[in-house]
Amino acid sequence: MMVETPPPTDAALCLRDVTKTYVLGADKVHALRGISLDIARNEYVAIMGPSGSGKSTLMHVIGCLDVPTSGSYWLESQMVAKMSESQLAEIRNRRIGFVFQTFNLIPRANIFHNVELPLVYGGMRKSERRALAETAIERVGLAERMRHKPNELSGGQRQRVAIARALVYNPSIILADEPTGNLDSKTGDEIMALFDELHAAGQTVILVTHEEYIAGHALREIRLRDGAIESDVMTRGQRRV
Amino acid sequence: MRWAIDLGESFQIALSALRANRARGALTTLGIIIGIVAVVLTMTAANGLQNKFRQTFSAVGADVIYVSRMPWIIMNDFFLYRNRPHIELRQADLLEQKLRGRAIVNPQVGGSHDLKYRSETMDGVTIIGTTEKQILVTSTQPESGRFIMASDVSHKTGVCVIGTDVRKGLFGTENPVNKKIKIGWNVFRVVGVMEKQGGSFLGGPNFDRQVYVPITSYVKAFGGARGHLDVDVAIKAPTQEAVGELEFEVIGEMRKIRSLRPSERDDFSINKLDTLTGTFNRMMGVVLLVGLIVTSISLFVGGVGVMNIMFVSVTERTREIGIRKAIGAKRRSILFQFLFESCAICLMGGVIGIVLAVILTAVINAVLMPASVSLPILALAVSVSVLVGTVAGFVPAYKGAKLDPIEALRYE
Repeated sequence: MMVETPPPTDAALCLRDVTKTYVLGADKVHALRGISLDIARNEYVAIMGPSGSGKSTLMHVIGCLDVPTSGSYWLESQMVAKMSESQLAEIRNRRIGFVFQTFNLIPRANIFHNVELPLVYGGMRKSERRALAETAIERVGLAERMRHKPNELSGGQRQRVAIARALVYNPSIILADEPTGNLDSKTGDEIMALFDELHAAGQTVILVTHEEYIAGHALREIRLRDGAIESDVMTRGQRRV
Repeated sequence: MRWAIDLGESFQIALSALRANRARGALTTLGIIIGIVAVVLTMTAANGLQNKFRQTFSAVGADVIYVSRMPWIIMNDFFLYRNRPHIELRQADLLEQKLRGRAIVNPQVGGSHDLKYRSETMDGVTIIGTTEKQILVTSTQPESGRFIMASDVSHKTGVCVIGTDVRKGLFGTENPVNKKIKIGWNVFRVVGVMEKQGGSFLGGPNFDRQVYVPITSYVKAFGGARGHLDVDVAIKAPTQEAVGELEFEVIGEMRKIRSLRPSERDDFSINKLDTLTGTFNRMMGVVLLVGLIVTSISLFVGGVGVMNIMFVSVTERTREIGIRKAIGAKRRSILFQFLFESCAICLMGGVIGIVLAVILTAVINAVLMPASVSLPILALAVSVSVLVGTVAGFVPAYKGAKLDPIEALRYE
């Protein structure tokens, strides 16, 4: 019986000896082998690694889309690893803002509805939702496109919408998976600039990427190899031209 | 409240999904439409039959026993009753004496004859010879003029009371009272018209196409060879509860009057409203059963169709389910989303079915029998639609709800 070391109180998230093993046919795949790390509030972290390193799995665990096979995970002092699916859904709703490579917007709904959706699932009234959603949309500079549908927007604009949706509930962490992967370099820069702004305004941002260039925006780089942390360094957030 | 907002979202999704795939939704509902039409028509038919039955046989009375030679309802066993001796007027009189004071006894004779008034004729009309007690035994009254009186019976007067169909057929809009008509070769004077009784119930006797005459006048006019007149005796009990005992007594007396030995079976029949009701209920049972079978089969087929479409719908939206779960939708939200969609499809089919059924009911009402779609029937149709939607949509919706968000997000 392992003694759980209490998490540092100013941590946004805290992983202790997290493993994730899953069964593939007759084999066992050890995607994560004993990951321990702390991420404090308002940190700007990039998680890097080649394919097979476990970075996607780590992202899923951090994002509460998956539960660790063993180990502990505290998200803002809440013990998340043992929660039920229903509780995890609530965590994903309030505490985590996802930004995906492929935007993942609801195609049949307009921008406003896409952004307010987390609030809907959170049970918020219409009047309250309106204020928060509009604020988030304005924050990413898309106020005049509020009633448009995703297919009427460019890639960069869609990603902005996704970011607005991620922000709308004021989450503990923004979790971005290859956020510029489907964008051209100029648009990608604009999006990264947005992330930089959000971080500067106090948000905790975690990027998952294999691009050095993108990771360079962050202030801390965690590299994974074969399911374990290979290195964890503070960088100076140099932007490569 | 949180719950309600969730439901609202699910409802909206369902509506937009339907709008997006109108043709698909419409085809799927065909089975549902047929099923709902079947449900509504079955219920309205059953209702209509019941109303018609009550309307037509309101004259029969639940507290009346009829002693007849034959049972009212004869299927294939006619040969059993063919050789029974007729009930004679003399026997009816004896019975009346025995039961005097305890029950009202009204003997009747009948036959089919042709009527003539001026140039109008009506063939094969049932003529019933009866006494003044007729209107005491049944609950029908003349709507104009008067009925037969005791003095008519004792004096064998040539008066008659005609049914509404006879009045229409012979007199049209003319007032028939005090006019003379010919029944067979005999002249009778019309003294009254019976109130309308609702025609014939699915091929049974038409109570409006009848003429009542005093029983003694009938015997005088059509008596002919003795013993060939078939007498029916209507006996009205003082209360409905007394009918059972009365029946026993009547059987006992009749057996004595007709000199039956204890070992011999009854050579007459006791007919009651119950008998008719029994047959009617059997008929109703058949209608309901057929309706139920058609309904079940079509609803089943419809339900399978809906389930199929819902599986497609869930698969199509796998990615979307993953997205919704990632931003915080719980399993039950996804479940409701798809349950709403399948219920919406079924409700749409249900509404179309109801509209169709209402039209068909109006047709039935005009042609066959009084029928109408009542509110409880509508509620039933709607409930059935929703039920089928819920049951058919459940498995696909559940599968959708249980999708792993990570897998779902990867789905192309």
